[in-house]
Amino acid sequence: MSDAVVAAQRISRVFPMPAGPVVAVCDVTLTVAAGEHIAIRGPSGCGKSTLLHMLGCVDAPSSGTLVFDRRDVSTLDDRARSLLRLRHIGFVFQRFFLLPMLTAAENVELPQAEAGAPKRERRARSLELLAYVGLGARADHRPAQLSGGEMQRVAIARALANRPRLLLADEPTGELDQTTGEQVAALLDRVNADGTALVIVTHDPVLASRARRVLTMRDGRIDHEAAR
Amino acid sequence: MKPFLFVLALLLSLTASFLGAQAPEPPSILVTRQLAEREGLAVGDLVRLAADARGERARTFRIAGTYEPTPNPLRLGLVPREVRLHLPDLLALTRDPDTPAGTERVSSVNVALVDPAEARRFAQDVNARTPGVFARRAAGAAGMGSIFVVLERFHYAIAAVTIAAATVFLLALTIMLVDERRETVGVLRLIGLPARRILVQVLLEGLFIAAAGALFGLALAAAAEGLINRFFQWRYDTALVFVRVTPRVAALSVAIAVPLGAVATVAASWALLRRRALRLARR
Repeated sequence: MSDAVVAAQRISRVFPMPAGPVVAVCDVTLTVAAGEHIAIRGPSGCGKSTLLHMLGCVDAPSSGTLVFDRRDVSTLDDRARSLLRLRHIGFVFQRFFLLPMLTAAENVELPQAEAGAPKRERRARSLELLAYVGLGARADHRPAQLSGGEMQRVAIARALANRPRLLLADEPTGELDQTTGEQVAALLDRVNADGTALVIVTHDPVLASRARRVLTMRDGRIDHEAAR
Repeated sequence: MKPFLFVLALLLSLTASFLGAQAPEPPSILVTRQLAEREGLAVGDLVRLAADARGERARTFRIAGTYEPTPNPLRLGLVPREVRLHLPDLLALTRDPDTPAGTERVSSVNVALVDPAEARRFAQDVNARTPGVFARRAAGAAGMGSIFVVLERFHYAIAAVTIAAATVFLLALTIMLVDERRETVGVLRLIGLPARRILVQVLLEGLFIAAAGALFGLALAAAAEGLINRFFQWRYDTALVFVRVTPRVAALSVAIAVPLGAVATVAASWALLRRRALRLARR
Protein backbone atom coordinates (compact mmCIF):
# COMPACT_ATOMS: atom_id res chain seq x y z
CA MET A 1 0.00 0.00 0.00
CA SER A 2 1.58 3.26 -1.12
CA ASP A 3 0.22 5.39 1.73
CA ALA A 4 1.12 2.87 4.44
CA VAL A 5 2.66 4.40 7.54
CA VAL A 6 3.83 1.09 8.89
CA ALA A 7 3.67 -2.37 7.39
CA ALA A 8 4.40 -5.54 9.32
CA GLN A 9 5.02 -8.65 7.25
CA ARG A 10 4.84 -11.94 9.20
CA ILE A 11 6.45 -10.50 12.29
CA SER A 12 6.98 -12.59 15.40
CA ARG A 13 8.39 -11.80 18.81
CA VAL A 14 9.90 -14.50 20.96
CA PHE A 15 11.13 -13.78 24.48
CA PRO A 16 13.83 -16.12 25.70
CA MET A 17 12.99 -17.22 29.24
CA PRO A 18 14.80 -19.54 31.64
CA ALA A 19 11.88 -21.97 31.43
CA GLY A 20 11.88 -21.82 27.64
CA PRO A 21 11.09 -19.28 24.90
CA VAL A 22 7.75 -17.48 25.05
CA VAL A 23 6.12 -16.56 21.73
CA ALA A 24 4.32 -13.27 22.38
CA VAL A 25 3.49 -12.43 18.75
CA CYS A 26 3.41 -15.03 16.00
CA ASP A 27 3.43 -14.43 12.28
CA VAL A 28 1.38 -11.22 12.22
CA THR A 29 0.89 -9.28 9.02
CA LEU A 30 -0.61 -5.83 9.39
CA THR A 31 -0.57 -2.55 7.50
CA VAL A 32 -1.53 0.77 9.03
CA ALA A 33 -2.45 3.31 6.40
CA ALA A 34 -2.12 7.06 6.82
CA GLY A 35 -5.03 8.47 8.81
CA GLU A 36 -6.34 5.04 9.71
CA HIS A 37 -7.98 4.23 13.06
CA ILE A 38 -7.35 0.70 14.32
CA ALA A 39 -8.20 -0.92 17.64
CA ILE A 40 -6.50 -4.10 18.82
CA ARG A 41 -8.42 -6.16 21.34
CA GLY A 42 -7.85 -9.46 23.04
CA PRO A 43 -7.35 -11.10 26.42
CA SER A 44 -4.39 -10.28 28.65
CA GLY A 45 -1.17 -11.85 27.45
CA CYS A 46 -2.39 -12.32 23.88
CA GLY A 47 0.46 -10.17 22.53
CA LYS A 48 -1.39 -6.96 21.62
CA SER A 49 0.92 -4.64 23.57
CA THR A 50 3.99 -6.41 22.20
CA LEU A 51 2.64 -5.93 18.69
CA LEU A 52 2.03 -2.25 19.42
CA HIS A 53 5.60 -1.82 20.72
CA MET A 54 6.98 -3.42 17.58
CA LEU A 55 4.83 -1.15 15.38
CA GLY A 56 6.23 1.78 17.35
CA CYS A 57 9.84 0.60 17.01
CA VAL A 58 10.22 0.31 20.78
CA ASP A 59 10.78 -3.41 20.39
CA ALA A 60 12.22 -5.29 17.44
CA PRO A 61 10.61 -8.36 15.88
CA SER A 62 12.45 -11.66 16.29
CA SER A 63 11.52 -12.48 12.70
CA GLY A 64 9.59 -10.98 9.82
CA THR A 65 9.82 -7.54 8.25
CA LEU A 66 8.69 -4.22 9.63
CA VAL A 67 8.68 -1.26 7.27
CA PHE A 68 8.03 2.21 8.59
CA ASP A 69 7.68 4.97 6.02
CA ARG A 70 9.33 2.73 3.40
CA ARG A 71 12.29 2.05 5.67
CA ASP A 72 13.06 -1.45 6.90
CA VAL A 73 13.26 -0.96 10.66
CA SER A 74 15.39 -4.09 11.16
CA THR A 75 18.26 -2.39 9.33
CA LEU A 76 18.23 0.66 11.61
CA ASP A 77 20.51 1.02 14.63
CA ASP A 78 19.37 2.28 18.03
CA ARG A 79 19.98 5.91 17.17
CA ALA A 80 18.07 5.75 13.88
CA ARG A 81 15.17 3.89 15.47
CA SER A 82 15.11 6.42 18.32
CA LEU A 83 14.99 9.31 15.86
CA LEU A 84 12.22 7.56 13.94
CA ARG A 85 10.24 7.30 17.17
CA LEU A 86 11.02 10.88 18.08
CA ARG A 87 9.96 12.41 14.77
CA HIS A 88 7.24 10.15 13.39
CA ILE A 89 5.60 8.16 16.19
CA GLY A 90 3.67 9.31 19.23
CA PHE A 91 3.05 7.11 22.24
CA VAL A 92 0.30 7.26 24.83
CA PHE A 93 0.44 4.81 27.72
CA GLN A 94 -1.98 3.73 30.37
CA ARG A 95 0.20 5.22 33.11
CA PHE A 96 0.85 8.53 31.29
CA PHE A 97 4.63 8.47 31.93
CA LEU A 98 4.98 12.21 32.31
CA LEU A 99 8.21 13.47 33.81
CA PRO A 100 7.20 14.64 37.29
CA MET A 101 9.84 17.34 37.59
CA LEU A 102 8.66 19.15 34.47
CA THR A 103 5.54 21.25 33.99
CA ALA A 104 2.87 20.24 31.48
CA ALA A 105 4.31 22.65 28.90
CA GLU A 106 7.86 21.42 29.52
CA ASN A 107 6.75 17.81 29.12
CA VAL A 108 5.29 18.74 25.73
CA GLU A 109 8.39 20.72 24.83
CA LEU A 110 10.78 17.88 25.57
CA PRO A 111 10.34 15.84 22.34
CA GLN A 112 10.46 19.05 20.30
CA ALA A 113 13.68 20.11 22.02
CA GLU A 114 15.22 16.75 21.23
CA ALA A 115 14.07 17.09 17.63
CA GLY A 116 15.90 20.41 17.44
CA ALA A 117 13.00 22.86 17.39
CA PRO A 118 13.89 26.45 18.40
CA LYS A 119 12.82 27.40 21.91
CA ARG A 120 10.26 30.03 20.92
CA GLU A 121 8.71 27.75 18.34
CA ARG A 122 8.41 24.79 20.68
CA ARG A 123 6.96 26.93 23.44
CA ALA A 124 4.29 28.20 21.07
CA ARG A 125 3.62 24.67 19.80
CA SER A 126 3.33 23.35 23.38
CA LEU A 127 0.81 26.01 24.35
CA GLU A 128 -1.11 25.38 21.14
CA LEU A 129 -1.22 21.63 21.85
CA LEU A 130 -2.22 22.10 25.47
CA ALA A 131 -5.04 24.36 24.27
CA TYR A 132 -5.96 21.66 21.72
CA VAL A 133 -6.35 19.08 24.50
CA GLY A 134 -8.22 21.60 26.68
CA LEU A 135 -5.43 22.34 29.14
CA GLY A 136 -4.30 25.78 28.03
CA ALA A 137 -4.69 27.09 31.55
CA ARG A 138 -2.63 24.29 33.12
CA ALA A 139 0.56 24.77 31.14
CA ASP A 140 2.66 25.60 34.16
CA HIS A 141 1.27 22.87 36.40
CA ARG A 142 3.33 19.83 37.25
CA PRO A 143 1.88 16.33 36.79
CA ALA A 144 1.29 15.97 40.53
CA GLN A 145 -1.05 18.97 40.35
CA LEU A 146 -3.15 17.41 37.56
CA SER A 147 -5.91 14.82 37.62
CA GLY A 148 -5.55 11.47 35.83
CA GLY A 149 -7.56 12.66 32.83
CA GLU A 150 -5.53 15.85 32.63
CA MET A 151 -2.28 13.93 32.81
CA GLN A 152 -3.42 11.69 29.97
CA ARG A 153 -4.34 14.71 27.90
CA VAL A 154 -0.88 16.18 28.54
CA ALA A 155 0.56 12.82 27.46
CA ILE A 156 -1.46 13.03 24.24
CA ALA A 157 -0.24 16.59 23.66
CA ARG A 158 3.32 15.37 24.20
CA ALA A 159 2.77 12.49 21.77
CA LEU A 160 1.62 14.98 19.13
CA ALA A 161 4.48 17.42 19.75
CA ASN A 162 6.52 16.52 16.67
CA ARG A 163 3.49 16.08 14.39
CA PRO A 164 3.77 12.27 14.18
CA ARG A 165 2.23 10.28 11.36
CA LEU A 166 1.32 7.49 13.76
CA LEU A 167 -0.09 7.66 17.28
CA LEU A 168 0.02 4.47 19.32
CA ALA A 169 -2.05 4.21 22.47
CA ASP A 170 -1.72 1.36 24.95
CA GLU A 171 -4.83 1.19 27.15
CA PRO A 172 -5.13 4.99 27.17
CA THR A 173 -8.27 4.95 29.31
CA GLY A 174 -7.22 2.09 31.55
CA GLU A 175 -6.59 4.24 34.61
CA LEU A 176 -9.45 6.69 34.08
CA ASP A 177 -13.07 6.69 35.17
CA GLN A 178 -15.74 6.30 32.52
CA THR A 179 -16.49 9.99 31.99
CA THR A 180 -12.83 10.98 31.82
CA GLY A 181 -12.12 7.97 29.64
CA GLU A 182 -14.76 9.11 27.18
CA GLN A 183 -13.25 12.59 27.08
CA VAL A 184 -9.83 11.09 26.31
CA ALA A 185 -11.38 8.79 23.68
CA ALA A 186 -13.10 11.76 22.04
CA LEU A 187 -9.79 13.61 22.02
CA LEU A 188 -8.09 10.65 20.34
CA ASP A 189 -10.89 10.59 17.76
CA ARG A 190 -10.23 14.24 17.05
CA VAL A 191 -6.49 13.60 16.68
CA ASN A 192 -7.29 10.87 14.17
CA ALA A 193 -9.82 13.06 12.36
CA ASP A 194 -7.09 15.68 12.01
CA GLY A 195 -5.01 13.20 10.00
CA THR A 196 -2.87 11.16 12.39
CA ALA A 197 -3.06 7.39 12.04
CA LEU A 198 -4.17 5.89 15.35
CA VAL A 199 -3.66 2.39 16.74
CA ILE A 200 -5.22 1.71 20.11
CA VAL A 201 -4.73 -1.38 22.24
CA THR A 202 -7.63 -1.75 24.63
CA HIS A 203 -9.76 -4.09 26.66
CA ASP A 204 -12.61 -1.60 26.49
CA PRO A 205 -15.17 -2.65 23.83
CA VAL A 206 -16.68 0.85 23.77
CA LEU A 207 -13.32 2.43 23.01
CA ALA A 208 -12.56 -0.26 20.44
CA SER A 209 -15.91 0.30 18.73
CA ARG A 210 -14.87 3.86 17.83
CA ALA A 211 -12.20 2.47 15.45
CA ARG A 212 -12.83 1.75 11.79
CA ARG A 213 -10.90 -1.53 12.00
CA VAL A 214 -10.96 -3.77 15.03
CA LEU A 215 -8.42 -6.58 15.27
CA THR A 216 -8.89 -9.30 17.84
CA MET A 217 -5.79 -11.17 18.94
CA ARG A 218 -5.46 -14.55 20.57
CA ASP A 219 -2.28 -16.43 21.43
CA GLY A 220 -0.07 -13.98 19.58
CA ARG A 221 -2.02 -14.07 16.34
CA ILE A 222 -4.71 -11.90 14.79
CA ASP A 223 -7.73 -14.06 15.28
CA HIS A 224 -10.41 -11.84 13.80
CA GLU A 225 -10.69 -8.57 11.94
CA ALA A 226 -13.78 -6.41 11.62
CA ALA A 227 -14.26 -3.23 9.65
CA ARG A 228 -16.85 -0.57 10.28
CA MET B 1 73.20 15.63 78.69
CA LYS B 2 70.61 16.03 76.01
CA PRO B 3 72.06 16.93 72.62
CA PHE B 4 69.37 19.44 71.85
CA LEU B 5 70.37 21.51 74.87
CA PHE B 6 73.85 21.74 73.42
CA VAL B 7 72.46 22.71 70.10
CA LEU B 8 70.31 25.45 71.44
CA ALA B 9 73.07 26.65 73.64
CA LEU B 10 75.46 26.62 70.71
CA LEU B 11 73.14 28.84 68.74
CA LEU B 12 73.26 31.32 71.53
CA SER B 13 76.96 31.00 72.18
CA LEU B 14 77.86 34.15 70.26
CA THR B 15 75.64 36.14 72.55
CA ALA B 16 77.22 34.46 75.51
CA SER B 17 80.65 35.61 74.49
CA PHE B 18 79.62 39.20 75.15
CA LEU B 19 78.75 38.40 78.75
CA GLY B 20 81.49 38.52 81.27
CA ALA B 21 82.02 35.68 83.73
CA GLN B 22 81.97 38.18 86.55
CA ALA B 23 78.75 39.90 85.42
CA PRO B 24 76.84 41.20 88.40
CA GLU B 25 73.56 40.16 86.86
CA PRO B 26 72.64 36.44 86.87
CA PRO B 27 72.97 34.84 83.46
CA SER B 28 69.88 34.91 81.30
CA ILE B 29 67.91 31.94 80.07
CA LEU B 30 64.89 31.25 77.90
CA VAL B 31 62.10 28.96 79.06
CA THR B 32 59.50 27.18 76.99
CA ARG B 33 55.96 28.55 77.01
CA GLN B 34 54.80 25.28 78.53
CA LEU B 35 57.25 25.48 81.43
CA ALA B 36 56.44 29.13 82.06
CA GLU B 37 52.71 28.34 82.16
CA ARG B 38 53.19 25.29 84.37
CA GLU B 39 55.43 27.04 86.94
CA GLY B 40 53.88 30.49 86.65
CA LEU B 41 57.13 32.05 85.44
CA ALA B 42 57.44 35.47 83.88
CA VAL B 43 60.16 37.39 82.08
CA GLY B 44 62.53 38.93 84.63
CA ASP B 45 61.95 36.24 87.27
CA LEU B 46 64.97 34.72 88.98
CA VAL B 47 65.11 30.93 89.03
CA ARG B 48 67.63 28.44 90.36
CA LEU B 49 68.66 25.54 88.16
CA ALA B 50 70.69 22.47 89.00
CA ALA B 51 71.98 19.60 86.90
CA ASP B 52 70.72 16.91 89.27
CA ALA B 53 67.49 16.16 91.03
CA ARG B 54 68.90 16.88 94.50
CA GLY B 55 69.55 20.49 93.52
CA GLU B 56 73.24 20.41 94.40
CA ARG B 57 75.39 23.21 92.97
CA ALA B 58 72.30 25.10 91.85
CA ARG B 59 72.85 28.43 90.12
CA THR B 60 70.62 31.44 89.73
CA PHE B 61 69.41 32.60 86.33
CA ARG B 62 67.13 35.39 85.13
CA ILE B 63 64.40 34.59 82.62
CA ALA B 64 65.03 36.71 79.55
CA GLY B 65 62.07 35.39 77.57
CA THR B 66 59.85 32.47 76.65
CA TYR B 67 59.81 30.52 73.40
CA GLU B 68 57.63 28.03 71.53
CA PRO B 69 59.71 24.90 71.09
CA THR B 70 60.07 23.50 67.57
CA PRO B 71 57.43 20.76 67.30
CA ASN B 72 58.86 17.27 67.18
CA PRO B 73 56.54 14.46 66.06
CA LEU B 74 58.82 11.90 67.69
CA ARG B 75 58.21 13.47 71.11
CA LEU B 76 54.44 13.73 70.71
CA GLY B 77 52.76 13.54 74.09
CA LEU B 78 55.82 14.81 75.99
CA VAL B 79 55.15 18.38 77.04
CA PRO B 80 58.42 20.25 76.44
CA ARG B 81 59.23 21.90 79.79
CA GLU B 82 62.73 23.03 78.89
CA VAL B 83 65.14 25.91 79.20
CA ARG B 84 67.78 27.28 76.87
CA LEU B 85 71.07 28.37 78.40
CA HIS B 86 74.11 30.04 76.93
CA LEU B 87 76.72 27.37 76.28
CA PRO B 88 79.20 28.55 78.96
CA ASP B 89 76.40 28.62 81.53
CA LEU B 90 75.31 25.16 80.52
CA LEU B 91 78.82 23.82 80.80
CA ALA B 92 79.36 25.48 84.14
CA LEU B 93 76.10 24.05 85.43
CA THR B 94 76.69 20.50 84.27
CA ARG B 95 80.48 20.17 84.57
CA ASP B 96 81.81 17.67 87.06
CA PRO B 97 83.50 19.58 89.92
CA ASP B 98 86.71 17.71 89.24
CA THR B 99 86.78 18.65 85.54
CA PRO B 100 88.74 21.84 84.82
CA ALA B 101 86.89 24.46 82.79
CA GLY B 102 87.62 24.19 79.09
CA THR B 103 88.21 20.44 79.08
CA GLU B 104 84.58 19.45 78.63
CA ARG B 105 83.66 17.04 75.87
CA VAL B 106 80.58 16.81 73.72
CA SER B 107 79.57 13.81 71.67
CA SER B 108 77.56 15.55 68.96
CA VAL B 109 76.84 18.99 67.59
CA ASN B 110 74.04 19.99 65.25
CA VAL B 111 74.91 22.51 62.58
CA ALA B 112 72.24 24.57 60.85
CA LEU B 113 73.14 25.43 57.26
CA VAL B 114 71.92 28.49 55.41
CA ASP B 115 70.98 26.22 52.52
CA PRO B 116 69.70 22.85 53.82
CA ALA B 117 70.13 21.38 50.35
CA GLU B 118 73.86 21.59 50.90
CA ALA B 119 73.69 19.16 53.85
CA ARG B 120 74.90 16.09 52.03
CA ARG B 121 77.83 17.87 50.40
CA PHE B 122 78.72 19.60 53.67
CA ALA B 123 78.73 16.25 55.54
CA GLN B 124 80.97 14.71 52.88
CA ASP B 125 83.30 17.69 53.08
CA VAL B 126 83.56 17.51 56.90
CA ASN B 127 84.14 13.74 56.82
CA ALA B 128 86.90 14.20 54.26
CA ARG B 129 88.63 17.05 56.06
CA THR B 130 88.30 16.03 59.73
CA PRO B 131 89.40 12.52 60.66
CA GLY B 132 87.63 11.22 63.77
CA VAL B 133 84.52 13.32 63.17
CA PHE B 134 81.52 11.70 61.63
CA ALA B 135 79.09 14.06 59.95
CA ARG B 136 75.74 13.11 58.51
CA ARG B 137 72.50 14.76 57.51
CA ALA B 138 70.09 15.36 60.38
CA ALA B 139 67.23 13.98 58.27
CA GLY B 140 68.85 10.58 58.45
CA ALA B 141 69.96 10.86 62.03
CA ALA B 142 68.56 8.69 64.79
CA GLY B 143 66.40 6.81 62.30
CA MET B 144 63.94 9.72 61.97
CA GLY B 145 63.91 9.51 58.22
CA SER B 146 63.04 5.84 58.14
CA ILE B 147 60.25 6.36 60.66
CA PHE B 148 58.65 8.97 58.43
CA VAL B 149 59.10 6.82 55.34
CA VAL B 150 57.20 4.05 57.14
CA LEU B 151 54.56 6.56 58.24
CA GLU B 152 54.20 7.87 54.71
CA ARG B 153 53.78 4.35 53.33
CA PHE B 154 51.25 3.66 56.03
CA HIS B 155 49.34 6.76 54.97
CA TYR B 156 49.44 5.63 51.34
CA ALA B 157 48.06 2.25 52.37
CA ILE B 158 45.24 3.91 54.32
CA ALA B 159 44.54 6.19 51.34
CA ALA B 160 44.40 3.22 48.95
CA VAL B 161 41.99 1.31 51.20
CA THR B 162 39.88 4.46 51.68
CA ILE B 163 39.68 5.08 47.93
CA ALA B 164 38.76 1.44 47.26
CA ALA B 165 36.04 1.52 49.93
CA ALA B 166 34.81 4.92 48.71
CA THR B 167 34.64 3.59 45.14
CA VAL B 168 32.44 0.69 46.22
CA PHE B 169 30.27 3.07 48.23
CA LEU B 170 30.10 5.53 45.33
CA LEU B 171 29.12 2.79 42.87
CA ALA B 172 26.42 1.49 45.18
CA LEU B 173 25.13 5.03 45.72
CA THR B 174 25.21 5.79 42.01
CA ILE B 175 23.38 2.59 41.14
CA MET B 176 20.71 3.52 43.66
CA LEU B 177 20.45 7.06 42.30
CA VAL B 178 20.32 5.89 38.70
CA ASP B 179 17.77 3.23 39.60
CA GLU B 180 15.63 5.97 41.14
CA ARG B 181 15.57 7.54 37.68
CA ARG B 182 14.83 4.40 35.73
CA GLU B 183 11.27 5.52 34.98
CA THR B 184 12.54 8.88 33.69
CA VAL B 185 15.15 7.12 31.57
CA GLY B 186 12.49 4.74 30.28
CA VAL B 187 10.19 7.62 29.33
CA LEU B 188 13.02 9.43 27.55
CA ARG B 189 13.83 6.26 25.63
CA LEU B 190 10.15 5.81 24.68
CA ILE B 191 9.91 9.41 23.50
CA GLY B 192 12.82 8.72 21.21
CA LEU B 193 16.01 9.82 22.91
CA PRO B 194 18.88 7.58 21.78
CA ALA B 195 20.72 5.69 24.52
CA ARG B 196 23.91 7.55 23.64
CA ARG B 197 22.24 10.93 24.09
CA ILE B 198 21.01 9.92 27.54
CA LEU B 199 24.44 8.53 28.40
CA VAL B 200 26.12 11.83 27.46
CA GLN B 201 23.59 13.71 29.58
CA VAL B 202 24.22 11.37 32.49
CA LEU B 203 27.98 11.71 32.03
CA LEU B 204 27.73 15.51 32.17
CA GLU B 205 25.57 15.28 35.27
CA GLY B 206 28.01 12.78 36.78
CA LEU B 207 30.94 15.10 36.07
CA PHE B 208 29.12 18.04 37.59
CA ILE B 209 28.05 16.11 40.68
CA ALA B 210 31.50 14.56 41.11
CA ALA B 211 33.18 17.97 40.77
CA ALA B 212 30.74 19.52 43.21
CA GLY B 213 31.27 16.58 45.57
CA ALA B 214 35.04 16.90 45.30
CA LEU B 215 34.88 20.63 46.05
CA PHE B 216 32.57 19.96 48.98
CA GLY B 217 34.99 17.31 50.19
CA LEU B 218 37.87 19.77 49.95
CA ALA B 219 35.89 22.40 51.87
CA LEU B 220 35.10 19.76 54.49
CA ALA B 221 38.75 18.73 54.65
CA ALA B 222 39.82 22.36 55.03
CA ALA B 223 37.36 22.85 57.87
CA ALA B 224 38.34 19.52 59.47
CA GLU B 225 42.01 20.43 59.10
CA GLY B 226 41.58 23.43 61.39
CA LEU B 227 39.46 21.52 63.89
CA ILE B 228 41.74 18.47 64.03
CA ASN B 229 44.87 20.59 64.37
CA ARG B 230 43.35 22.75 67.08
CA PHE B 231 42.09 19.75 69.02
CA PHE B 232 45.37 17.81 68.97
CA GLN B 233 47.46 20.92 69.51
CA TRP B 234 45.35 21.55 72.59
CA ARG B 235 45.44 17.89 73.60
CA TYR B 236 49.23 17.55 73.36
CA ASP B 237 50.09 21.21 74.04
CA THR B 238 52.18 21.50 70.91
CA ALA B 239 52.44 23.65 67.82
CA LEU B 240 52.76 20.51 65.69
CA VAL B 241 50.59 20.51 62.56
CA PHE B 242 48.76 17.16 62.35
CA VAL B 243 46.76 17.62 59.14
CA ARG B 244 47.60 19.77 56.15
CA VAL B 245 45.60 19.89 52.92
CA THR B 246 48.21 21.06 50.45
CA PRO B 247 47.40 22.17 46.89
CA ARG B 248 48.97 18.91 45.66
CA VAL B 249 46.74 16.82 47.92
CA ALA B 250 43.70 18.87 46.85
CA ALA B 251 44.53 18.50 43.15
CA LEU B 252 45.13 14.77 43.56
CA SER B 253 41.79 14.34 45.37
CA VAL B 254 39.92 16.15 42.60
CA ALA B 255 41.85 14.26 39.93
CA ILE B 256 40.77 10.96 41.50
CA ALA B 257 37.24 11.91 42.56
CA VAL B 258 35.92 13.51 39.36
CA PRO B 259 36.78 10.71 36.89
CA LEU B 260 35.78 8.11 39.47
CA GLY B 261 32.37 9.73 39.98
CA ALA B 262 31.81 10.13 36.27
CA VAL B 263 32.83 6.56 35.48
CA ALA B 264 30.64 5.21 38.29
CA THR B 265 27.65 7.18 36.98
CA VAL B 266 28.16 6.08 33.40
CA ALA B 267 28.72 2.45 34.41
CA ALA B 268 25.51 2.41 36.44
CA SER B 269 23.58 4.18 33.67
CA TRP B 270 24.93 1.93 30.98
CA ALA B 271 23.66 -1.10 32.85
CA LEU B 272 20.26 0.58 33.01
CA LEU B 273 20.18 1.67 29.36
CA ARG B 274 20.80 -1.84 28.16
CA ARG B 275 17.37 -2.82 29.47
CA ARG B 276 14.28 -2.42 27.34
CA ALA B 277 12.69 1.03 27.56
CA LEU B 278 9.30 -0.33 28.55
CA ARG B 279 10.76 -2.37 31.38
CA LEU B 280 12.41 0.77 32.67
CA ALA B 281 9.27 2.84 32.48
CA ARG B 282 7.17 0.15 34.17
CA ARG B 283 8.24 -0.28 37.78
